[in-house]
Formats: sequence, structure tokens, C-alpha cells
Amino acid sequence: MERILVLGAGTGGLVAANLLASHGYPVTLIEKRETHLFQPGMLWIAFQGHNPSRYTRPVKELIRPGVELVHGEVVGIDLGERLVHLADGRTFTYTTLIIALGAHLDYDSTPGHRELVERYGDFYSGASAAEKMWSHFKELTSGRLVIAAADPLYKCPPAPHKAAFLAAYTLRRMGRLGSVEVHLALPFLHEYPSEVIARIVAPKLEEAGVRVSTLFTVESIDVGEGKIYSLEGEELDFSLAAVIPAHRGPTVRMEPGEVLDEDGFIKVDKYRLNVEGYDDAYAIGDASNAPTSKTGVTAHLGAEVVVDRIMGYDSRFNGRTNCPIVADGTASFVISSYDHPPVPVKFTRFKRMLEDLFIASYWSSLMYPERWAPIFRAYFNATDPRVISGGW
Amino acid sequence: MSERITVDARGMACPGPITKLVRAYRKASPGTLIEVLATDPGFKPDVEAWAKRTGNEIVELAEENGVIRAVIRVTGKK
Repeated sequence: MERILVLGAGTGGLVAANLLASHGYPVTLIEKRETHLFQPGMLWIAFQGHNPSRYTRPVKELIRPGVELVHGEVVGIDLGERLVHLADGRTFTYTTLIIALGAHLDYDSTPGHRELVERYGDFYSGASAAEKMWSHFKELTSGRLVIAAADPLYKCPPAPHKAAFLAAYTLRRMGRLGSVEVHLALPFLHEYPSEVIARIVAPKLEEAGVRVSTLFTVESIDVGEGKIYSLEGEELDFSLAAVIPAHRGPTVRMEPGEVLDEDGFIKVDKYRLNVEGYDDAYAIGDASNAPTSKTGVTAHLGAEVVVDRIMGYDSRFNGRTNCPIVADGTASFVISSYDHPPVPVKFTRFKRMLEDLFIASYWSSLMYPERWAPIFRAYFNATDPRVISGGW
Repeated sequence: MSERITVDARGMACPGPITKLVRAYRKASPGTLIEVLATDPGFKPDVEAWAKRTGNEIVELAEENGVIRAVIRVTGKK
């Protein structure tokens, strides 16, 4: 009997499961958490004091009839035997598997990191970590807030920039931007991995009053002394710091192990998204090694491609990104695909309105992806990097 | 003989090759040679800027049949 198993109820997993159910497929969705978090919300919780309830929903309220929800933690996947093992000993079999388990945050490869997150929270480790960051940030009256990363590969490439912008605007509103320095330390050569985007973001950061260091990859953190040391041999003092952890593939036992790359991400055909060597298993979103940004947009678009393929269409994922960079009242997007590097996209109010619309549509787009598909398709076609290659 | 690490970043677009270099650099001990192979044309100026800023030595930087080959000696680590 046909059974499609979807592992993980993040953006990609929910879109895939709900879309499949809408087409009448029997779907089982396995998730260890009770609640789904809109992950960019952590930025607003941590640096603007938003209520976490705005960005969290019970998973069971986000699935449609036809999706069977199983609460449990996946610990093993056997692709040859078509088996999925849960921590509590249960075993599931499948005819088609969609792995959407996200990335694992690795605090232990950076000395002092775990202590830093336990003390101050951050904007990556969950809604309560973000609340903890806000509780410290709102009390900061002098000194330096450092926003940095332990590795150049992390989900949502503009996240540290957004954190710096939001923090700077909050401090300005509090009248503290003069006495508190917002310092963005990036593990890249320029203010953004893509130089085209760096040229657009750099003046905006300056205008917002954010100090920037480039080529600063966090190597270790001394929480007691308030110092961060970089791989490149520099150091920064901090009063408060949030460091993006190194990302690894999901922590499940995988058979065969060869389908994992050196960081534990699942090797896929970057267009078809099937696990290398298997046509009945797919990996989408952060869990895969597809050479594009790890973001909710790529997870959502990847889920649509996989569902199309399960239905028999020859859909291909083109690696499209649409990473929003939110500044004060304006926004820009990092728009690229496998075949096209990021295009210059100016900060405008209109794009901020679009981003606010995307955020407002989030819960609905997880549950009813097919209703939003024509709207998103129109947007993605109109803003295809080949169409707007000269700039937008 | 020095320890040698090879990083194959062929086919990766910017900033892929530098990201891979940074990750190899994290694991490398002083004196190690890191060899990076890349096809992204932006890699040449990027690796030069990276080496200059981090105090590491470029032993070799050549392009052949569209493949850029950079060999870096780790001299920027204590």
C-alpha cells in the first residue's frame, strides 16, 4: 500500500505534506516538536521584543485533513530497506520518503559558544533563546553588541544583517545608539557573500549606524572576559553577543552513510532533489546539500518540486533564492538561482510591503500552498534573476 | 614535508570557494599547504585578498583550462 512519509514539520515538510494531502495522497508526517516556529520571527523577538506567540503555532493546527501526524523523533533512516526508526523504538516503512529534517546547530565546535547561548540566548536557537536575548538587549545601556557567525555556511545568509539593522533601530528609538555600538562581524570578504549585494547593503548599514568587520569567523568565545576571537587572528570585546552556530546535517543514523556529505548534509540531485542513488527518497530544505541558500523559500519551492515529481511531472528546482534584507521601513531581496548570481536589488518601501505580505501569508501558505502557488509563481517569474539581471 | 590539504571547489560559484578555504583553514595547523581548485573567476582576486588580510602566504596561483589552482601556506596561525 502506498505511504508517503514526510520527516520534519518545518516549512518544507508542512508544504509537502499539505500539498500531497490536497491531491489525495496518504501522507504521514513525523515531527518531534509540538510547535512550529516561523524562524525569521526570532530576529523580531530578540531585537524588537515581539511576542513569541506571533511566530509559533501548534503543528497539529497546521496540517490538513488527510495528513496523519506522528509525534516522535527520527533517529535512523535506512534507504535500502525503506525504513525510518524513531527514538521510542517505532519503525515506519514507506513507498516514498521526503526528508525535511532541517540543519543541526553545532555549538560544540566553537569553545565557549554553548555557555554564551545559555547565558544570553541568541536569534537561532529557538523562541525562548530569542526571548532571552531580548531580556538582555533591552537592558543594554552602554558597550557593544556583537553579531557574528562561527562558520560562513548558515541558514538565511542575511540574518546577521537583519539582526544588526533591527538592533540598531531599536537602540535609536531608545536613544541609546550613541552609547551602545552594534558591531556586525562577518565571515566574508565583503559586507555580504556576494559583492553585488555587499555594495547595496554596506551604505545601508553605515546609515543605520552599524559597525562592520569582515573576515571575522568566530573561533572561540570567552564569556567571562567578554571577548570573541576569530580564526583570522582578531578579537572583539562585547557586552552582549549573538553568534550564529555552525550548521551540520540532521543528526540521524543514515544507511547508507555515503549519501551524506562531509558536514552530514544529504547529497541530492540539485534539480530533482532525490537522494543520490535513490528515486524513492527526496531531501528538501536545510537538510540537503543543494548548492543554494538554506532558507524557508528554498524549502517551500523544493517541496513543490518534489510533490510535482511524485505526481509524475518532470519539475526541476532551479535553486531560486529570495532572501529578504529588512531595513528601516524598506527591504531588499537577495535573488539568485543555480544559473544566475545575485542581482542588484535596491532597498525600497514597496519591497518592504512585499516582505510584510510574505510574512503575513506565512501560516496560510504552509497549510494551503496550492492557493498561494499562482501568486508566488507570478512573483517568482516576474522577478526571475534573468528577467531583472540589470537590477530591480 | 609539509602536510597538504586539497579543497575541490570546482563548479562552485562565489562565495563557495572561499567558504571552503575558510573551513579547511580552521582545521589546518601552521605550515600546512592548502590547495584549492576552483572554476569561479572571482576566486583569484578573492583568494589574494583573503591571504593578504589573514597573513597567509600564496605559494602558487595559476589558471589552466579554466581551473584556478591556489596553493596557500598557513603562516597566519600561531
